[in-house]
Amino acid sequence: MTLRDRAMKWIARLRSAPVWLRSSLGARLWLRGCDSVGPGTRTFWRPHIENRGRMQIGARVRLNSNWAVIELVSGPGGTLDIGDGVFINYGTMVSARRSVRIGPNVMIGNYCIVADTETPGTGDLADAPSSEPRPVEIGEGAWLAARVIVLPGTRIGAGAVIAAGSVVAGDIPAGSVAGGIPARVLRSR
Amino acid sequence: MSARWKASRARRWLQGCAHVGESPVITGRPSVHGEEGQLRIGDRFRLASIPVPSHLVAGPGAILDIGDDVAIGCGAAISAHERVQIGSGTRIGPYVIIMDSNFHGSPGDQSLHHDCRPVRIGAGCRIGSRVTITRGATIGDGAEILAGSVVSTAIPPGVCAAGASARIIGKAGDLQARWESPAAALPAMLMASLGLESPPNLDATVIPDHLRSGGGMEELGQSLKDQFGIAPDPAAIREARTFADIAAVIREVRPRSI
Repeated sequence: MTLRDRAMKWIARLRSAPVWLRSSLGARLWLRGCDSVGPGTRTFWRPHIENRGRMQIGARVRLNSNWAVIELVSGPGGTLDIGDGVFINYGTMVSARRSVRIGPNVMIGNYCIVADTETPGTGDLADAPSSEPRPVEIGEGAWLAARVIVLPGTRIGAGAVIAAGSVVAGDIPAGSVAGGIPARVLRSR
Repeated sequence: MSARWKASRARRWLQGCAHVGESPVITGRPSVHGEEGQLRIGDRFRLASIPVPSHLVAGPGAILDIGDDVAIGCGAAISAHERVQIGSGTRIGPYVIIMDSNFHGSPGDQSLHHDCRPVRIGAGCRIGSRVTITRGATIGDGAEILAGSVVSTAIPPGVCAAGASARIIGKAGDLQARWESPAAALPAMLMASLGLESPPNLDATVIPDHLRSGGGMEELGQSLKDQFGIAPDPAAIREARTFADIAAVIREVRPRSI
């Protein structure tokens, strides 16, 4: 590496320092309602956090709320668990009435909806059986593209890729590429 | 925050309505415009507008009728230009769009009143996130529409429908309802096409003659095509004597699924 390259690298770092500082301090401020937040977690602009149960956010998580707000909701008795190194893009809604687990290094695209009830954000649960929450699990390193909807009771395997605009129901095997309404396995990765 | 203060705050957002029932709960700042038409809201109405505002609009001379105990999520857009009716106890998820007009007529014609057809949503329905309900749609009582669906036709009461455009995939409240499994969808589909009172048992139950002769079998063939994208032999469907026969016909066309 030449001296010039090294200098350019340090200049780039210095130039991004205010953003880094702002997003790191922002995470401390905006995620203060969460039960635990890991080190190195950053938020870009302000997410909407509504924690009435448990909300655990891992280390080095990035939440981008620029352009549209990320909404993280945990209902009474619900657990929302976000693993290390997760990236969630803008406009996404994650709602946990019972349990939503997002594994480490998952990437979630913009305008996704991940919820363990059918009608998230409409107040307390009705007593009808189908409105009972069913836990959602997203495996390690999975990637959800833009505008994906994850239905209650879905399990997405480790390393799976969900194509944009899909509606996911049931189980998606690990390491597969799935897409469509409903999402079907298209091929393996 | 006292309940009374909350209700008076909610009424401020709902002041364009012709009628608002008792104790409405509003979060955030929705935009509600019912001055030109008639916007009627029942008791215990809940409308979320955080983080994305919802909007309810009743156009000139239109009626937007919302029953009791209705809850609507954030980012909802409900517009009536003729008539939109939402039954009591219905829950509507976030980012739902309900409209009874296409907002355009023939190319170049941008009048909003072009070819409106009323939308009716029954009582006790559950509409998932980001569902789009277009003009002329009717959803029966207690039906369940899964997230991301587009509804533009009639959905019978008590079924679970999903997809774009939405088709019946099972009974409402049936936790096993899956798109992948026609076995789960078939009873509800038979119920709808043949006009049965309850979903039939798929084992060797004999189909009563009056159902077979009533034109239900042709309709069943059409719904098989619409819902599973399969076209079984019409003669085989017509000749089916029992529900098990119908299941066998489908198994032949789609061996993996039933």
